[in-house]
Amino acid sequence: MDGAPAGLPVIDVDAVRRVLEEYAERGWTDGLPVMPVTESYLAEFLEQTSRGPDEVLLSMPHLNRACTVRVAAINAAMAGCRPEYFPVVLAAWSALEAEGYVTRGIWQSTTGTAPMLLVNGPIREQLGLNSKGNMFGSGFRANATIGRAIRLTAINAFGLRPRELDQATQGNPAKYTACIAENEEESPWPPFHVEHGFDASESTVTAMTMRSVVHIEARHTTVPEQLGRDLADTVRRTGALIHETISACIALGPEHASLFAGAGWTKDDVRRFVYEHAVNSREALAAVGKDAVSGKTRWRLSSEHPDATADTAAEQGSGNVVSVLNSEQAVQIVVAGAQNAGVSAVIETFGPRGGPPATAAVESASA
Amino acid sequence: MLERAGVPTVSICTDAFVVPARAMADVYGAPEFEFVTIPHPIASLSPPQIEANVRPVISEVVRILAGG
Repeated sequence: MDGAPAGLPVIDVDAVRRVLEEYAERGWTDGLPVMPVTESYLAEFLEQTSRGPDEVLLSMPHLNRACTVRVAAINAAMAGCRPEYFPVVLAAWSALEAEGYVTRGIWQSTTGTAPMLLVNGPIREQLGLNSKGNMFGSGFRANATIGRAIRLTAINAFGLRPRELDQATQGNPAKYTACIAENEEESPWPPFHVEHGFDASESTVTAMTMRSVVHIEARHTTVPEQLGRDLADTVRRTGALIHETISACIALGPEHASLFAGAGWTKDDVRRFVYEHAVNSREALAAVGKDAVSGKTRWRLSSEHPDATADTAAEQGSGNVVSVLNSEQAVQIVVAGAQNAGVSAVIETFGPRGGPPATAAVESASA
Repeated sequence: MLERAGVPTVSICTDAFVVPARAMADVYGAPEFEFVTIPHPIASLSPPQIEANVRPVISEVVRILAGG
């Protein structure tokens, strides 16, 4: 090691490479290098919670597999989390269990969904979770590694490797990691978790099953109805329709949120407007062969298909207007991103269509 | 699961799902589990096309049902 710059630690690079290759060869990674985990490093994670290491966090009975606190901690450490991130990872598992799709096999589906995590409360600042510029993108360790901890656990605890038990046709980029925080500071409305019954001083994780993040450009307008229609137009797109209806979480950039709030709109007003305008005409659905539903699965198909039966809109006699949302509650709204442009996103989800979101409290450090 | 409940059963999947089907059989402790495959896809075929894909495997379905 002669010639190493003064003051830098001396390590055996060959040893590090051997460890990383070993993890990769065992199939324990998502394709990227992982952090090697020792018992002493693992102990630092387990010290972060009052829950026992053998406590089961989530079971997938159809796979005959379960994930314990200890296994979740190993994978969080491998993902590159710092130990103090672990309570957020644990809350994510609670939220994923409450959300319900995961235990029904959605991570094996051809749709290729990814878990999308939303963090609220003081823990965002404590851990440096990004809620502002580039919150869907790279560059922030807490976001990157907390989301990745879920993926590595899916691979290592549940065996959900692509092309084996994970049958995703294409998957999506969020399968590496997807964890954002709400920009509560630049939101004109109460934070997401407060809206759903938590105290502002609590920290929470909300879990969603996401298919896509669709980008909305609307820098041109100061008219809330125009912006609302632009959002609704993306929510209603026919390509999103596999089931009869859809659900979505709209991640409003702070500029768009301010535009609505400045015009006196509450979150519920935005939700209601999107619900009312996220509709397709019967002709538009017929043009893509989705103007009816299967009598067996209620999935959309052509009215000319032998299994076709009338969709709910037709049963209710709603004429030519077919809503893609079954209720206002099928739209969640969160404020995130930088206060620098009229940009928002629709997170397309398999989510609650009438029920509350799946939100779990983060265990506090004093617990 | 139906077989374990005493109901003779044959699983049919398209050839696109052979690997996950085999993986699920392993999960359930039945690595030798026999299933029948037909060509992918199904969802976009007409009834006559589906019938054409199924006809060649009927004897295989009967063989497995009969425990052959």
